[in-house]
Amino acid sequence: MVEIFINDRSIKVPEGITVLKAAERAGIHIPHICYHEAFAPEGSCRMCLVEIEGHLCLELACATQVKEGMKVFTETENVRQARQGVLEFLLAEHPMDCPICDKAGECTLQDYYEQYGLFESTFMEQKERKDKNVPLGKGLILDRERCVLCTRCVRFLRDITQTEELGVFERGVYSEIGIFDQRLIDNNYAGNLTELCPVGAITDKDFRFKTRNWFLEKGASICPLCSRGCNIFIEHHPGFARFDVPKRVYRITSRVTSREKDQKEKGYWICDIGRYGYSYMDQDRAEKIVLKQGDSALDPKKAVTYAADQVKKLIYKNKLNRLGVISNTWLTNEELFLVKKIFTENLESQKVFFPTTAQREADDLLLTSDRTPNKKGAQEIGFSLEAISEGQVFDGTELLFVFWASPFDLDQLTGLMSKIKEVQTKILFTPFEREWNKDFDLVIPTAVPAEKAGSFTNEDERIQHFGPVLYSPGQARAEWEWLVSLGKEIKVDFKSYARLSSPFDVFQMMKKKIKFFGK
Amino acid sequence: MFRLFGYFIEIIRGILITARHFIVNMVFHILNLFGIKTKRKGAFTIQYPEQKTEIAERHRSLHRLMKREDGKPRCVACMLCETVCPSECIYIEATEDPDPEIQKYPSTFIIDLSRCCFCGFCVEACPEDAIRMDTGEVEFAQYNRKDMVLDLESLLNEPK
Repeated sequence: MVEIFINDRSIKVPEGITVLKAAERAGIHIPHICYHEAFAPEGSCRMCLVEIEGHLCLELACATQVKEGMKVFTETENVRQARQGVLEFLLAEHPMDCPICDKAGECTLQDYYEQYGLFESTFMEQKERKDKNVPLGKGLILDRERCVLCTRCVRFLRDITQTEELGVFERGVYSEIGIFDQRLIDNNYAGNLTELCPVGAITDKDFRFKTRNWFLEKGASICPLCSRGCNIFIEHHPGFARFDVPKRVYRITSRVTSREKDQKEKGYWICDIGRYGYSYMDQDRAEKIVLKQGDSALDPKKAVTYAADQVKKLIYKNKLNRLGVISNTWLTNEELFLVKKIFTENLESQKVFFPTTAQREADDLLLTSDRTPNKKGAQEIGFSLEAISEGQVFDGTELLFVFWASPFDLDQLTGLMSKIKEVQTKILFTPFEREWNKDFDLVIPTAVPAEKAGSFTNEDERIQHFGPVLYSPGQARAEWEWLVSLGKEIKVDFKSYARLSSPFDVFQMMKKKIKFFGK
Repeated sequence: MFRLFGYFIEIIRGILITARHFIVNMVFHILNLFGIKTKRKGAFTIQYPEQKTEIAERHRSLHRLMKREDGKPRCVACMLCETVCPSECIYIEATEDPDPEIQKYPSTFIIDLSRCCFCGFCVEACPEDAIRMDTGEVEFAQYNRKDMVLDLESLLNEPK
């Protein structure tokens, strides 16, 4: 540890870190454009200039290491002038098309001009015209006029994905970002470039011109599309009073938590599968409880009573071995725990079947081969995923509960459908309106992970809690709500379910029962 | 009994006030009619639907969208008017324009007049001078709420 002084404030920081990081620890923001925590300092934007006592000229905060007794000043007249000068040069060739720029509102250049610039332009000349619509591949579009040549994108593709599709071409004022010889960007992490770009030079077709980012609300959640469980923000439109917005979720961005900052190459990014695979939250959602016989409109209480009555019939006949459950690993820890509690502990059915999910190609950065979020959680709760085969579930089964939360892997359930149809009574819990819904006796709409609270256990055995970001549509409720009311209605163990009113309560119960979650 | 008395007093007082306004205004109007100039003029009344007053130059009337020289809307769909609108009566959807000089233009532009409070913030916010409230049109009452919702087409072709 060394002691340094930033604006006459003493702070103790570990040896070898840079002035910029030290200032951040002291809560002092030093403006920077090209510097990113995940990369080595580049020093091309010159925004982070600070005054250090005893040094002849201003120093780069992002590239200067701290020394014992170093005195750093970030708000002196000299520094302010230097920042203004740097901003003026950066803005000299910047097209100022903020009204049509998707980055406007979260653009570092815009923010810094507000904070440190506020000068009148002294340039009389016409700004230079460059290409405004250069396709880079994977839906990315480069606007060379807006580019400030911070080379974050180049460094990302060089250091993190190691694919090196982008480079800086030409020299001096003619420098520009470009691809090599029509070889377009084609890796699973290209979407990060839009987020990484400090200005609006790289935009993606998925979000381009759809809305303005200040309309969007950010909600913290966990990406459910693979077993890595990256931290994400779901950016959704709260809607207008009088007009219908075409969709709720507009984009997904990465969320950096303090815990993930330690793993440099992993913490800041999310893959394109997670970034662009959000349409399932709005498309084909089941909103109504549908009972096959009788009236289609059904209130939740009646639906639960119907399901519980089916179970009770088996209890009276003492034929609980004819109860089967098809579960899946898209459910949260809490819900899987409730499934286990209701079906294997209270009702003593041994037939909880997990369809095997297809293993897909993983990459060495984030994406895992298991594309369901909670396989580890299911294992820790005590389900052995391969123990029960397909044949055993349907063997003499009269009542079948099917939980199907995955928006993908459609062919798996289609494969099972022919056997499911033969079962006497079958009840489906699903968030989606699919073709097979009409084959079930009762379809209960449920919530997607973005709409419920709970936790996933990811591949590294980390339990990640998340809260609801969106409202679930229509009569849809999270699975845990249905399961708790079902547990109450079955009345085998009414007392323990009566206490459960949130996923948190369920988790507290899990903590006591299962050692893994009690850690 | 006393209460009833007070009631009649108030009626008589009201009639007297009305009569005073009537007589005073009539005297002034008659004097003005014969060309005698008075310090005060009679109360100002016009026969509205037939007679119309002139609208002030900066009066905020019905919106219109400006056009470029080639007839395309000048609006670039930056949605600043939508952002600033206090009554949330503007809704815009943007589309990509093949022309790299324009890039972005509105495919949908809706103003709900039944909701608009005519504050003029949208005009202030517009960076392209694409929306104006200078048509001088103040009579847009409709029998149907649906007809109060203007779309891009009708906003572009507003008379001026």
